[in-house]
Amino acid sequence: MTTVEPRRTGTAEPRDRVAADETVGIRMTVNGTETTVTVPPRAHLGDVLREQLGLTGTHLGCEHGVCGMCTVLVDGEAARACLLFAVQCEGAEIVTVEGLGTPEDQHPLQQAFSAHHALQCGFCTPGMLMSSYDLLSNTPEVESEELPEQMSGVLCRCTGYRGILAAVDDVRQSHPDGVPGPRACGARTLVGRGTGGGSGAGAPAEEVPAAALAQEVRLPSGPPSAVVDVTSALRQPVERVWAVLDDFDLLARCLPGARLTEVLDGDRYRGRAVVALGPVKLSFDGLAQVVERDPAAHRLRFHAQGADAGGSATQADVVLAAEAGPDGGTVLTAHADVHLTGRVAQFGRALAGDVSRRLFEQFATSVDEAAETGSVTEPGRGAQLRLVLGTVRDTVGALVRRGLTRVRTLRRR
Amino acid sequence: MKAAPFAYVRPGRLDDVLGELAGGDGKVLAGGQSLVPVLAMRLGRPGTLVDITAVPELTAAGPEQDGYRIGAAVRQRAVEHDRSARAVPLIGMAMPFVGHRELRSRGTVCGSLAHADPAAELPAVACCAQATVELAGPAGRRRMPAEEFVTGAMTTAAGPEDVVVAVTFPHARPGEGFGFAEIARRHGDFALAGVVTRVRVGDDGAVTEARLTGFGISDRAVTRDVTPLLTEHEDDLRPATAALADEVVDTGGDTHGSTGYRRRLFGVLAARELSRALHRARDRKERS
Ligand SMILES: Cc1cc2nc3c(=O)[nH]c(=O)nc-3n(C[C@H](O)[C@H](O)[C@H](O)COP(=O)(O)OP(=O)(O)OC[C@H]3O[C@@H](n4cnc5c(N)ncnc54)[C@H](O)[C@@H]3O)c2cc1C
Ligand code: FES
Ligand code: FES
Repeated sequence: MTTVEPRRTGTAEPRDRVAADETVGIRMTVNGTETTVTVPPRAHLGDVLREQLGLTGTHLGCEHGVCGMCTVLVDGEAARACLLFAVQCEGAEIVTVEGLGTPEDQHPLQQAFSAHHALQCGFCTPGMLMSSYDLLSNTPEVESEELPEQMSGVLCRCTGYRGILAAVDDVRQSHPDGVPGPRACGARTLVGRGTGGGSGAGAPAEEVPAAALAQEVRLPSGPPSAVVDVTSALRQPVERVWAVLDDFDLLARCLPGARLTEVLDGDRYRGRAVVALGPVKLSFDGLAQVVERDPAAHRLRFHAQGADAGGSATQADVVLAAEAGPDGGTVLTAHADVHLTGRVAQFGRALAGDVSRRLFEQFATSVDEAAETGSVTEPGRGAQLRLVLGTVRDTVGALVRRGLTRVRTLRRR
Repeated sequence: MKAAPFAYVRPGRLDDVLGELAGGDGKVLAGGQSLVPVLAMRLGRPGTLVDITAVPELTAAGPEQDGYRIGAAVRQRAVEHDRSARAVPLIGMAMPFVGHRELRSRGTVCGSLAHADPAAELPAVACCAQATVELAGPAGRRRMPAEEFVTGAMTTAAGPEDVVVAVTFPHARPGEGFGFAEIARRHGDFALAGVVTRVRVGDDGAVTEARLTGFGISDRAVTRDVTPLLTEHEDDLRPATAALADEVVDTGGDTHGSTGYRRRLFGVLAARELSRALHRARDRKERS
């Protein structure tokens, strides 16, 4: 079956490296007008349209792809302007809501939105218009019943949905062969509001201050983001396991990706932990303080906190307890109340439980090894703490030795 | 919500992509639909983004000897609209659930596999269909089954200096039927639980092979050979799929659904989609 020519999809032109602090000229066609913008690599199309070209009809909401406010047409298909860097748009043809119609000559979709009261505040309207234009121009055969699903990529905050769907359905029926093209695309002068250099152009690379070094661990009040209870069966006898728990240096080395950097007075320890997972990479500098050490009960309790340079923070109240288990082994239990704040919390709040749980599972294996050999194998680069931090979503995944682990993930809003 | 500064390069040859990735501080930028949010929230700060969309050999999709092959720069929406992709029915069944139209216009099939989100549809389809992933890296080219490629949540067999070149989905064979379903809170959201099924019947209509992949229920798509389950319990699948759910659904749960709720969803979806795949397989057999 090699008869069909493989389908090619728009190969872009190669481009040489653009340094992080450099700007580069990008030529694109916006609403029918050819224009060149000068941008740093990190400027996204949404900002460039608004700030350099003065096209403020493209709204920005979440800036991470969820809300759909920034939807524009790129080469005839709807795309999120906030998920596209302007440097990726060399040669692209872009249509924004300004290109769709003018107050004097509105596009049928605009007329229908008006007729059906398909807007209240109007913030989502540009996104809704561009998304529905894409739908009706590329798939005019779409059925009425499919509209709620097809229009779900743009969110309206003020209950405009009924009117919006009615408007789109109206135009769908009146234009069964596809909607007319944009009405306001043509040569004209695009005037920016900015200085022309582009947002962030030439701005000094942001210096991230080292996370402020706390002297004492403070746990936030309020319910934790996640509660983790892990029980692991270790092969080594309880006394040897306790010897590891009692030696904070050794204990810290059992945490993959973690490293003790300083021993302070008052049973306090400074360290650093690196979390790497897909494109996510965080480096936490932290402090741990032992608040209870009970050799008779083989119980250790400590408070820990860590902050990432990017503004994410985590705090935990941890209790580790070792108990003699069957066959001369040990049952190690860990209980942790984990608090997450900052970006990491926003990004993967629901995953906090799974992240922490895996951490403890890997940790327990290392404790067993340390109890046997008195040391921990230096984790290689690949064995860095590779944990779940998830994407922009709420679902979780985790592999558990069932029956041994229980995680409750609480969520604060 | 602005990405930290990064360097950007768009090489025209695969070798140059690999050269840019050597050293490990670069990240492949395909459609950017998962990577850009990570950058915007500054959860990742790669030194260089290596845009792979100008490499001609990565931009083609189409039928080949051993199946439908999709290059790494091919967008999901292009595959969705490609008639020859219909030779792999599961792709068409799953694609409408991969985010929204506006995301599929930029997102790539291979990018979804490389990102390996535990609740993503395409890695699950790739595992159930026994697709093959092709990689290029410092050690040369290699191919591996999708099931081996995805090693955990957002973790794959690809190293930081590797590029996924393409994925090939085997064409549907005579006597094969498929099922796909997911439950999400809202259309376009990641699934709370989802299943992909593939059933093959012989000339007498008896099941010869049955595979089931669950997603959104563990740290990665989980695939099981369910041939005995289907042959022994064809008339009443629910108890058997409920038992299977106990075994494979092991996510910790979150505010949108506990582990128990997800097990229930999975058990119901699995029974329904196995039975659908079986009927479709028999229909196709009769018509062929
Ligand atoms: C609001 C929203 C909702 C979404 N909903 C869903 C959903 O329901 N289901 C779903 O499956 N997805 C969903 N996604 C994710 C998505 O749309 C993408 O399909 C996909 O996960 C990433 O593909 P991409 O080409 O954009 O990859 P990118 O974002 O460019 O890359 C993602 C990761 O993979 C790496 N990568 C990409 N290509 C390669 C390659 N060829 N070789 C090596 N590494 C590579 C990158 O370095 C990066 O780490 C959603 C995204 C958003 C923003
Ligand atoms: S601003 Fe782009 S999707 Fe929200
Ligand atoms: S009209 Fe206000 S957000 Fe939709």
